[in-house]
Amino acid sequence: MTATLIASGTDRRSSLGMAAAVAVEGARLTGAETLVIELGEGAQRRGPTLLAAAGARRVEEALRADDLRASARGHVCHLALADPGEGLDALGPAIDRAEPELVVIHLPSSLWVPTLESGLRVDGGVLLVSLPAERSLAALAVGEMKGRGLPVRISSRPPGPLAARRALAGVPPGGAASDLARSIARRLLDLGWPGGPGSSREGGRQGQALPALLGAGLILILAALALTAIGGAATGRGRVQRAADLAALSAVRSMRDDVPRLLAPASLPSGAPNPQRLSRGEYLERARLAAIDAARRNRVDPSRLRVAFPDSSANPPLRARATVVGEVDPGRLPGGRRLANRAPIRVVARAVAEASAPVSSWTGMPAMAEGGGYSGPLVYRDGEGMRPDVAAAFDRMSASARRAGLDLVVVSGFRSDAEQAQLFARHPDPRWVAPPGHSLHRCATELDLGPSSAYGWLASNAHRFAFVQRYSWEAWHYGFAGGPAPCSSAGNALGPDGQGAGAPSSTALPGFVPGPYRASILRSASRWNVSPGLLAAQLMAESGFNPRAVSPAGALGIAQFMPATARSYGLRDPFDPIASIDAQAHLMADLLRRFHSVPLALAAYNAGSGAVAACGCIPYAETRAYVARILALANGAGVLLSPPLEVRLVK
Amino acid sequence: MPPAAEPARSRGQASIELLAAVPALFLAAAIAVQLLLVGYSLSIADGAAEAGAVASAAGRSAGGAAREALPEWARGRSRISAEGGRVRVEVRPPAPFAALSEALTVSSEAWSRPPRGSG
Repeated sequence: MTATLIASGTDRRSSLGMAAAVAVEGARLTGAETLVIELGEGAQRRGPTLLAAAGARRVEEALRADDLRASARGHVCHLALADPGEGLDALGPAIDRAEPELVVIHLPSSLWVPTLESGLRVDGGVLLVSLPAERSLAALAVGEMKGRGLPVRISSRPPGPLAARRALAGVPPGGAASDLARSIARRLLDLGWPGGPGSSREGGRQGQALPALLGAGLILILAALALTAIGGAATGRGRVQRAADLAALSAVRSMRDDVPRLLAPASLPSGAPNPQRLSRGEYLERARLAAIDAARRNRVDPSRLRVAFPDSSANPPLRARATVVGEVDPGRLPGGRRLANRAPIRVVARAVAEASAPVSSWTGMPAMAEGGGYSGPLVYRDGEGMRPDVAAAFDRMSASARRAGLDLVVVSGFRSDAEQAQLFARHPDPRWVAPPGHSLHRCATELDLGPSSAYGWLASNAHRFAFVQRYSWEAWHYGFAGGPAPCSSAGNALGPDGQGAGAPSSTALPGFVPGPYRASILRSASRWNVSPGLLAAQLMAESGFNPRAVSPAGALGIAQFMPATARSYGLRDPFDPIASIDAQAHLMADLLRRFHSVPLALAAYNAGSGAVAACGCIPYAETRAYVARILALANGAGVLLSPPLEVRLVK
Repeated sequence: MPPAAEPARSRGQASIELLAAVPALFLAAAIAVQLLLVGYSLSIADGAAEAGAVASAAGRSAGGAAREALPEWARGRSRISAEGGRVRVEVRPPAPFAALSEALTVSSEAWSRPPRGSG
């Protein structure tokens, strides 16, 4: 297939050079065999020459066969036309016979239109004009070409003489002339030559569009599969870690449940062995079996699980470490069949769990009031203690107030005589603060309520919930009139649920407290406003109620006072159990006030308040075990509403 | 020699082929997104099941903890069952059709020792 371009210009020499340059660069771009034909007017006839390229020679011969005056010189075949347009009809068949792939026909501008009209197939044109002088000529050429749907380029930059000579000799003109000619050839051939490289690229695009899109789709799916495989591997790894976490947690769960049995007395009062009691070995073995059970139920082969107890020497041990050596088979993961390496990935997951006292979740306020105006269980609202039936009524009133858009707050509730004494000392005016022993707040039935915006609502509604305003000048002070009278023995007999009669508080001490110490524990607990159950459990853990006990560290007596601490609490003889218990209650009251947490107060009793204050935590494994032991004893005895030991992952 | 208008016709053909391939591309993208959604749903189901089992060992509500651990969008697309320390979380990944979502449901199970007395 031959592509034919026409070229013209007002300056023959320059435009012929440009035509030759376009032919040379077109040949370089496409690799096609090219030919330049120059049409000339007039009757000039030149003889054939031997110095011609083969292509030019073939066209010359073809034209001469039609009796046209053609002569080949170098790479150009000159054709002299006798009259404008004469012989143009024969040019096309002659070119076809010579079979060049690219022909550039240079012609005088006067032949531009006749050539286009001659029936010669033209694929594009280039015109060298001097702008703006020859704008009308350029416009004519462009109009003629565009009218036929043919591409055209207009240039106003003629090649230099040297470049023109090079192009005519069939070599690249070089420099700017080469760039310009290449640009022209590329534009003309891309658009105007169906057999040229441009259209072949077009065909290539046709063929590539679909595969490219399908490839993009495939890449999308593969990328998603790869991500899924990565996610799957992470999931597999995560499941191994999960199995380790849950094995450690299950072991600690077992320990936490078994602590009371580990701490239980070895023998019953009758002297027979206590069937509930667990030895340390049994306790740990039960925890290990719980971890194995968890591993199996989480689809991990128990042979891949190792369980260790980092604090096995503590009493009680409350930590467990689980290590799972797992394998993730990438081939079995979603999306991993094709993408991942089939060699199993070895995963080692470790987890440590422990049971510990929740340091921050409990304020450590006494659960029981002893002596004074009220002796019985305390229930707290907004951090203030009250009798259980008062709390239940307050809850109903608070809910009703909330529906009215008010949020009731208990500003003050139960006050022990000691607290009332402190308050009176600060405001010694009996009109505002009752002297110790006279305030109704010691009965746990009185509430000071807020905020002040609720006073109006309270005045109209409190009676519906059996609350009465005690004093006309105290808009905040309401007393509960719906249950047993304040500071009555009937009020003391209320159970923790506020219903019916509960056990008398003096029997609320655990059964393990020896008779001789029960009265002094209750008395000191009441004096210092500390739970008697807590003091009892602490004495059990410290010395087992042995007033002669001496620890290797030098702690002395039933409450295990160090001599310096004993002196600072005015305890002259740590081996005097009654005085020791009172000093113990005093010290615990101070620590509870300082740390606002039973676990931290116990930890400070055991490890020193400096170490506890430094970290705000329970330092040392031994101290953690000490705190856990006391809480378990108190909780197991049912005398203290102590927080359960929390089972949690440590790492 | 073909007429000069031929390249324009070829270009039009390429556009039509492109138009035909766009739905295929969308389908591929939809499959990819669906795969990712299934994987993500599995990972959140795993996390929720573990959270439930951890809560169960600590004596808290396993079902509540598992539900809390799910992102907001997944809570309405999940079934959680907790009994005797076993927590099972099923998540239906988002899909264009309810039937497809149901068919692609992923599940995860975890177990931990419950507190004594709670089964």
